[in-house]
Amino acid sequence: MLDCRNLVVTYELTPVLQNLALYIGAGEIVALTGPSGSGKTTLLRCIAGLEVVDSGTILLSNEEITAKPAHSRRIGLVFQDNQLFPHLNVAKNISYSLMIQGTKQKLMDEKVAEVLELVGLTHLSQREVFKLSGGEAKRIAVARALVAQPKVLLLDEPLSGLDKELHARLLDDLGTLLRLRGTTTLHVTHDQNEANAIADRVLDIRNLMLH
Amino acid sequence: MITSYRSTSKWLAVLPVVAMLTFVVAPTLNIFIISLNFESFAILTAQTTRSVVWFTMWQAIISTILVLLFAMPIAAMTANFDFFGRRALISVISVPFILPTVVVGVAFLEILPTRIHQSAFAIIIAHIYFNFGLVVRIISSRWQQINPHLDDVARTLGASKIRLFVTVTLPLLKNSLRSAGILVFLMCFTSYGVIRILGGPARSTIETEIYFRAMQLGDVSGALVLSILQLVVVGVLILLTTQFGTTKSAELSQMVFSRIRKPQTPGQIVLITSVASISTFVVVMPLVSVVRRSILIGQKINFSIWQSIFTDEEISKSLTTSLKYAVFTIVVSTTIGLFGACSIIYGSARYRFLNLLTALPVVVSAVTLGLGLIITFDVNPIDWRGAWLMMPIAHCLVAIPIVMRIISPTIRDLPNGLRDASQTLGATTWQMWRTIDLRIIKPALMSAAAVACAVSLGEFGASSFLVRRNNETLPLMISRLLGRPGEIIQAQAYAIATLLIVACVAIIGLVDHLGTEKNR
Repeated sequence: MLDCRNLVVTYELTPVLQNLALYIGAGEIVALTGPSGSGKTTLLRCIAGLEVVDSGTILLSNEEITAKPAHSRRIGLVFQDNQLFPHLNVAKNISYSLMIQGTKQKLMDEKVAEVLELVGLTHLSQREVFKLSGGEAKRIAVARALVAQPKVLLLDEPLSGLDKELHARLLDDLGTLLRLRGTTTLHVTHDQNEANAIADRVLDIRNLMLH
Repeated sequence: MITSYRSTSKWLAVLPVVAMLTFVVAPTLNIFIISLNFESFAILTAQTTRSVVWFTMWQAIISTILVLLFAMPIAAMTANFDFFGRRALISVISVPFILPTVVVGVAFLEILPTRIHQSAFAIIIAHIYFNFGLVVRIISSRWQQINPHLDDVARTLGASKIRLFVTVTLPLLKNSLRSAGILVFLMCFTSYGVIRILGGPARSTIETEIYFRAMQLGDVSGALVLSILQLVVVGVLILLTTQFGTTKSAELSQMVFSRIRKPQTPGQIVLITSVASISTFVVVMPLVSVVRRSILIGQKINFSIWQSIFTDEEISKSLTTSLKYAVFTIVVSTTIGLFGACSIIYGSARYRFLNLLTALPVVVSAVTLGLGLIITFDVNPIDWRGAWLMMPIAHCLVAIPIVMRIISPTIRDLPNGLRDASQTLGATTWQMWRTIDLRIIKPALMSAAAVACAVSLGEFGASSFLVRRNNETLPLMISRLLGRPGEIIQAQAYAIATLLIVACVAIIGLVDHLGTEKNR
């Protein structure tokens, strides 16, 4: 499904990713751990197409996407700080990718309702995003990424900064949701327990690089 | 630099660069080239010039000091207290700054006793009135960013309220006080409309002297030398602002604190009520006097002037011209300003030259701009002296630096993560710009358009040079009518000034409403 081969990224002469290799099978949930500054977020941004790799290739369903622009890769990314669009309400945030594709309003409404039900926030569809709680905002960010039907979903420490109770509840919900939809997922976290709870496989980024 | 838009920066820079090179740099260089003979510079040693320069300097210094002194209590109040009508008060005291200078002049002609018309006192009072709202806004917004816990720390360490202000607040406000001070000094140093109306023949500044020499005496080379003198002084001041104005301000602006609280003691309530009432009265009173004068003929209320305003062919023509130029200025300056701001923020460090280039109209001053345009575009094949387009182009040049400074912070503060999110959700570069950047900067863009409209409606300096028989704008008409005898004619001037006041009040209301929307 997603195959990263020999990825190299260097920032101002400092190597961040050194010959990194990673394979994720279809429908698999892989958790990626590692200390701060080990290149986890950089790897996600390279896979999403937001950063350019110095060398190496990225294949998605056997198609090379290394040079493809981010908008045409169909790889979803849930950001650590959600990045909900402040000028759009919940429903419009979720339907953003559908609006970009020129989807008809009726179909958009149906899909938004479906995904809101999935994350259990149907009652918040018209709410302004700055009025959401931390947990609600996180669920909306996941819903927004899922509605675009990405081939692979990348989660960049999606549960960091939440209190213990909310963290446990969201982790549970997220795992159920991803398995229910069979979404191929790369979940980045520095929390080993979180990684073990959600993933089929847990990898340490340091072990993916050839020094 | 914004990686996603990096490649578009050079295309976005084309329009602002071409506009500035053609209509500001070339005319300014032309002024230098034409004046490059030693005989012209003899004017600098003349007694008249020395007294004009001295007066320009001291009235600007005194005006600046007084503006800062008057603005501080109101800035302190609006930065620290949440009281009924706080937002309305900020809007009201901001009105004078966007009023046409001619209207401010006219208002003070009406309220000041005749014996102090054409005096330095009248000019300084008008300058304080014109600028103090701007200073309140600058200082108040910075003051709100000062961490309130620092006050608590200083108090627990034994500082009295005065010591706290002197040792903590004032040093943290130093940069904004300096920036506001230099801005006010520049406005007063290059003041034109106020001096033309309130100064009379005895009180001339460099700016009015340039006009007087070029247009009344026909001494163009003398006017050009004075333009260079003014350019040098303003240029040095702007360099000083950019040299010293940056330290710590960025650090402060990143912090968000809530130091605004409800007034608690009766003393605070009385003080706030008094300061708010006095400031509102001071701002509104001159404006009301203008409206009053427009309906008074021979000490009797008479609305016939207002009927004539909408039926008089000459006035209707000026009104149409002003509105036409305002629309042109809104469209052109907002477009060029948006392109310029985007190019600087989206592009690499080498696009920062645009910041300086687009600030040139401020350095050059409106009158010099008008003079430069008139002496540059007067030879075939670019003999555009009679072209109607020259005046709205000058309006745009004056508006562009302001437009850019309104739009830029919003574009700069837009989190890049939103653009990343948009891309991963399938948006192309154009879709991303349209659905994220443009949507979020829209309120700032609308505010910039509104301010550009106010600039065009009130522009007087450059327009004085570029006016032709068929394109007199409202401020020029006010100035002309005031120079003619007759109560009806004078009342007409006040009625036109009233129209401009109404437009400016509406514009400030719109800008503040959009600002509230943006901050929501």
